[in-house]
Amino acid sequence: MKFLIYRYNPETDAEPHMQEYELANVEPGMMLLNALERLKAQDETLSFRRSCGEGVCGSDGMNINGRNGLACITPLTVLKQPVELRPMPGLPVIRDLIVDMGQFFHQYRSVKPYLIRHDPDPEIEIKQSPEDRDKLDGLYECILCGCCTTSCPSFWWNPDLFRGPAALLQSARFLMDSRDQGTAERLDELEGPYRLFRCHTIMNCVDVCPKNLNPTSAIGNIKKLMVKHHI
Amino acid sequence: MTLHAHGLRAWLLQRMSALYMTGYTFFVLFLFSSASISDYQNWHSWMADPFFSLATTIFFAALLVHAWVGIRDVIMDYAHSSLLRFILLTATGLSLFSIGIWMLRVVILVVIK
Repeated sequence: MKFLIYRYNPETDAEPHMQEYELANVEPGMMLLNALERLKAQDETLSFRRSCGEGVCGSDGMNINGRNGLACITPLTVLKQPVELRPMPGLPVIRDLIVDMGQFFHQYRSVKPYLIRHDPDPEIEIKQSPEDRDKLDGLYECILCGCCTTSCPSFWWNPDLFRGPAALLQSARFLMDSRDQGTAERLDELEGPYRLFRCHTIMNCVDVCPKNLNPTSAIGNIKKLMVKHHI
Repeated sequence: MTLHAHGLRAWLLQRMSALYMTGYTFFVLFLFSSASISDYQNWHSWMADPFFSLATTIFFAALLVHAWVGIRDVIMDYAHSSLLRFILLTATGLSLFSIGIWMLRVVILVVIK
């Protein structure tokens, strides 16, 4: 099986280049990450992030044949050859397929991804009805792999100003939480032409999300909540 | 002086103007298809009607607001240098403003004739 992989080592290379690789014995059921690990055994300078290998940790997000995804849950059989692997677009490359996620996590932190409480903390857990808990479905499952945000053109154009789909999905997750008391300050923080409203419903985020989440609809819900709150 | 760009307000104006323009377009299409506007005289009498001329003026106002928010968004996405952005926004604003004045002139001429 043929691979074409983006290689760049800023310490030795002036420019990035694409390197060809060939993997001889591809076994049935193999995922892209397994192939990458075998390729790394051939060429130990090839660098990529990986951890759980089960689509849970979100470490091995990369651009696979032009589409962001997780290598560990992408079966080799669905890929057209040569399999072109590049780092996720829109973020600085540290080396080969490894990108600097600093900007991504900066935007994530900016939406305060935790419960904001103004009342004193109760002695026991804050109870939630099953209906209220259901509102978090489709929001809490995000693994922060960065596939959505780095496939969003609005994020490519304004990575420092636009929060990006992953961070906005998390913002929605806490806005919809019945236990959260920071609705007003969360919405105020997102006002302005950039942080939330750079989303032009391009929906690349929905297309690539490995957990099948829908950041576009979450962003739409934030906008609705904002309208309700201001009018 | 600040030229503060808004998020929610611009977004709402864009949505509301879109709704109005859709309604108006269907109404006008209906007028044309039902042949109540068959020639210039007919169109003229329709335009002289206070309700229709007001609805048309609002349509063009909605169109200009919609275009302003849309083009402003494109400029904010792509033009990152302040000078270039200022020039593009000013040019867009002036062009849309001229279109608005020209359209008002048409409506006023029809109404006073």
